[in-house]
Amino acid sequence: MKEKLDALLCDGTAEILAAENENELQVVKGKYLGKDGLVTKLLKEIPTLDVSLRPEMGKAVNQVKNALGEKIDARREEIKNKAFAISPDFDCTVPGLTPQIGGLHPITQMCYDLNDAFRSMGFEVFSGPEITSEYFAFDNLNFPPNHPARESMDTYWLEGHDSGEANEKLCLRPHLTGDSVRYMQTHKPPYRFVYPGRVYRNETTDARHERAFFQYEALIVDKDFTYTAGKVMIKSILSKVFGQDVPVRMRAGFFPFVEPGFEIDMGCLVCGGKGCSVCKHVGWIEIMPGGTPHPNVLRAAGVDPDEYTGFYVNIGLDRLVMMRYGVDDVRMFHSTDLRFLTQFR
Amino acid sequence: MKLSLNWIKDFVKLPDDLTMSQLAFDLTMATVEVEGVHDLSKQFDGIVVGVINEVLPHPNADKLRVCKVDIGADEIKEIVCGGSNLEAGMKVVVACPGAMVRWHGEGEPVEIKNTKLRGVASFGMICAAVEVGLSDLFPTDDDHAIMDISYLDVKPGINLADALDLNDMILEIDNKSMTNRPDLWGHYGIARELAALYDLPLKDIEKYVPETDTAYDVRILDTERCPRYIGAKIENLSVKEAPFYMQSRLWRVGLRPINALVDITNYVMLAVGQPTHVFDSNHIIDHIEVRRADEGEKLQLLNDKEIELCTDDLVIADSEGAVALAGVMGGAKDSVLPDTESVILEVANFNSHGVRRTALRYDNRTEASARYEKAIDPERCDLAVTLSMELFKELYPEMKVVAYCDSYPNKLVKKEIDVDFDWLDRRLGMRIPQEVVSKKLGSMGYEVTFTEKGMHIVVPTWRSTGDVSIKADIMEEVARMYGYENFQPTSITTTFDGAINQLRVDLVRKIKEYLSFRCNMQEIFTYPWMTDTFVNALLPDTNEVFALSTPPSPSEKYVRSTLLPNICKAIVKNERNFPEFAIFEEAKIFRDCNYAHEYDEKEALPYERRHLGCAFVGSPDKVTELFRTAKGVIGMMPRYTHMEEFTFKKVEKPYWADETVWLNVFLGEKKIGDLALLSHKAKTDCGIKVVSAVLVEIDMDSLIPFKSRTNRFVHIPEFPMNEYDLSFLVDSMVKWEDIYSACMLKKSGDSLLKDVRFVDEYKGKQIPKGKKSVTIRLVIGSSEKTLTGEEIEAAAKSVLKKLTKNLGAEIRS
Repeated sequence: MKEKLDALLCDGTAEILAAENENELQVVKGKYLGKDGLVTKLLKEIPTLDVSLRPEMGKAVNQVKNALGEKIDARREEIKNKAFAISPDFDCTVPGLTPQIGGLHPITQMCYDLNDAFRSMGFEVFSGPEITSEYFAFDNLNFPPNHPARESMDTYWLEGHDSGEANEKLCLRPHLTGDSVRYMQTHKPPYRFVYPGRVYRNETTDARHERAFFQYEALIVDKDFTYTAGKVMIKSILSKVFGQDVPVRMRAGFFPFVEPGFEIDMGCLVCGGKGCSVCKHVGWIEIMPGGTPHPNVLRAAGVDPDEYTGFYVNIGLDRLVMMRYGVDDVRMFHSTDLRFLTQFR
Repeated sequence: MKLSLNWIKDFVKLPDDLTMSQLAFDLTMATVEVEGVHDLSKQFDGIVVGVINEVLPHPNADKLRVCKVDIGADEIKEIVCGGSNLEAGMKVVVACPGAMVRWHGEGEPVEIKNTKLRGVASFGMICAAVEVGLSDLFPTDDDHAIMDISYLDVKPGINLADALDLNDMILEIDNKSMTNRPDLWGHYGIARELAALYDLPLKDIEKYVPETDTAYDVRILDTERCPRYIGAKIENLSVKEAPFYMQSRLWRVGLRPINALVDITNYVMLAVGQPTHVFDSNHIIDHIEVRRADEGEKLQLLNDKEIELCTDDLVIADSEGAVALAGVMGGAKDSVLPDTESVILEVANFNSHGVRRTALRYDNRTEASARYEKAIDPERCDLAVTLSMELFKELYPEMKVVAYCDSYPNKLVKKEIDVDFDWLDRRLGMRIPQEVVSKKLGSMGYEVTFTEKGMHIVVPTWRSTGDVSIKADIMEEVARMYGYENFQPTSITTTFDGAINQLRVDLVRKIKEYLSFRCNMQEIFTYPWMTDTFVNALLPDTNEVFALSTPPSPSEKYVRSTLLPNICKAIVKNERNFPEFAIFEEAKIFRDCNYAHEYDEKEALPYERRHLGCAFVGSPDKVTELFRTAKGVIGMMPRYTHMEEFTFKKVEKPYWADETVWLNVFLGEKKIGDLALLSHKAKTDCGIKVVSAVLVEIDMDSLIPFKSRTNRFVHIPEFPMNEYDLSFLVDSMVKWEDIYSACMLKKSGDSLLKDVRFVDEYKGKQIPKGKKSVTIRLVIGSSEKTLTGEEIEAAAKSVLKKLTKNLGAEIRS
């Protein structure tokens, strides 16, 4: 019996090691340790042996049983570990499978960034019609009939609607400010709103000039709103949009919709104000005009300028986006070229 | 506009410790944008006066000479030079090594170095005027002549800027920043601003008192367009060169000296901002009249351009006809000629709008018209006359004013404004002491008297032509003079008035973000006008399509009434770089109809709607995928953007769509858009070469956003759902919709069939002609128990039976 046991251990071990997978191992386990397994059979034979041999043989058979059991467990672990191993020539440097690239237009992105910033300060978003009458484009915005600004904003008039009274002449809007009057006429003060949108000017285009561009205006109208509060507002907005503290300065400027008027500069983020080619070596970049809405504009909107004042800014989004990404030709924005548009994330 | 600091200092004495950068900063913050400041003397660094002691022949070159030049400090240097006018004893301009000169006046400045010319060592260079940028002041006809400054009483070695008194700082002002400030268009105006900024006295210019009683005959026939005209006949003059300082100042700020008479007028204009003009008095017949031109009247201008006038033009005329275009340009006939000995000096005020219209009409904007356009006050004529007469006297001590007339029929009314201190404090957000306010205003020329609650302010004439008229203007004056940067920041306060809730604004953004980030489409921007090629390809006609009066180009006159033409243009643009892509645009479309008074009863605006346009573009053999992608993207949009669901129906084929592959998008009973394959014809007409495109256009203004998230929770099934795939053959014209209906036929509430899904369809090899193979997936389950295999099988069989019976489906073997 002893020899038989040795042979069982030897064969069993060999068969265990030869098992290539869990199933084969199960078969080997059944053959030796199962209900009718070879080792089990020997165990069953113990009671038939001579009494004096029983303890020793019982022990020996159990040892073999345990040994095989352990080997099976060990082999099972080995198989598990080996079973899902990937061939070592797998290449982890192959590029990932990316979804097709999609995205918002870079100007939309900037517009939404600004919307988020302004809405966090309680501003509403408003948009007016893109076809407007001369009345809303110029007349009620403090542009006297002969004002040169009417010429400088060379306007796209619509055929068949390009003469007659101001309220009959129709054009693609040359600026957004008319929208502010539309909003104020239909709401009650105090006001706090932004009105982004496209505007159109009949100009010759080049790398810095476009016929269609995107402006972003914001207006607060409240009692005794000072320009210094306006400065704080602009600083907060820009700091949120650009993700860092942005120095802001306001200096004298002139625009027909405002009085007093300002040119608003932001500290150059490229050089940190030290002076570089982007800021023409002055450390500041002119980004928007702004100021207190002109009393005539408030009057046109039915607001009493003695009671109310406010603050207005007009951000040229094209320019801001050009600065954000270093785009050097404004015409790219309307190019529809996906090689350009898919660069912005 | 360029300004000379020395010239400004004629009118205001600036503090010695004021740096140029401080001055530029202060002016920029308070008044106008200083774009740059440059030190004029810098360009003459290393350029000195030399005296030629000897001119020797060059051993190796006929045209060159070797000059021994004394450049001061006992140094005699040898300089090789090809100048045609070299002579011993001549004072010349020597550029020493290190100086920057422009070779023959061309190209960028280059640095002078010690060099050898044809074998002879040369120290620096003897310069021609053009090489040191002084050709305007030292004109010559001889290209090879060097600059001769022998007339100067200076020692050799002295720097050229010192020798010619060219030590000056030049300020460059952004013209755009002072379009509203006619008073600033001259050195005197800027000096006044600086005097106010730094609390300094401004030089007073006294009013001229004519020395003759003889009146010059001036007749103003249009006092609206010409509020004031001063004419003076001056004799004992001649045409000569102006003194160097005068020429030099004109040159510094960008004007070319011409002759003393013309230079005086330019000098006065640059000094006080008032254009003036001189006519040769021999050519003015009888008198001067200021009148409207006759229709078709001809005038030859100073620049020899002949123009045909209209009645809107204001002219200066004598008894025979027009001699000058008022405020714009003089005529050729009466200009200063070489033999001019007496002149009529014109110092006049013209209406800004008229000058502007005339200058634009003849495309003839001049230094004078640019100033008149800004609305100069008529009182400024006094400054200009005084200064002119001083200069005539200085240049022509023998001169005589023999006749004089100051016709001022249309007096300027000074603006008067009342300002409440309480109002001022509230608007400024701080209290500036009243004495400071009145002092600052006073130094800018405002007359201030205190009233019970504030100030009564009389605006100076030079600010009364439109610039300052209301109390907000006064507030601005006070704030900028006090210094915008001296105000403390104040926080923004507001009353909370409910949260912002703008469903429509949010919906547009959600849709764009859905398309971009979930559907991987790229947003594009296009112009609001359409190109004819695409209009012809996609629109049945142009009824109710707006056109521009002056379009960007003749083929781009139509204003978009649909987004698809521009989207197709974008497809053409991109198909050469990308085999497949998906794009969208959100923009307004317009139609010449449905006018409504949405905002104002005075204003009727046309049909204008916000649209969404999409294109799913790819290879023509993937039309099914493109179509299904488009349908999926649009179909799922309401789920992700929280709005009312769409349905697809076939009601009205879009003009541009393929005969078969098209759908209309419906919201309830309302058609809000189309989804279709671009027909082969439209595609070809657009010039799309390879790709196919499924286009979508939806009226976004019709979409209905949910007020909040509205769907309800549904319990997840307690017992497992089983999926069971069926493949069968049907006639190839059978639609998915028919299959789905057939499966659901007579389905009761407790039916085990819970859903039927489309998996696949296949036509082609192994499938009989006229048939297609369809695979569907049945979802079978019960809410009461786990189904057995037999039960599932039975449920599937009953579905197959319905398909066989109603659609003639045959199970695929």
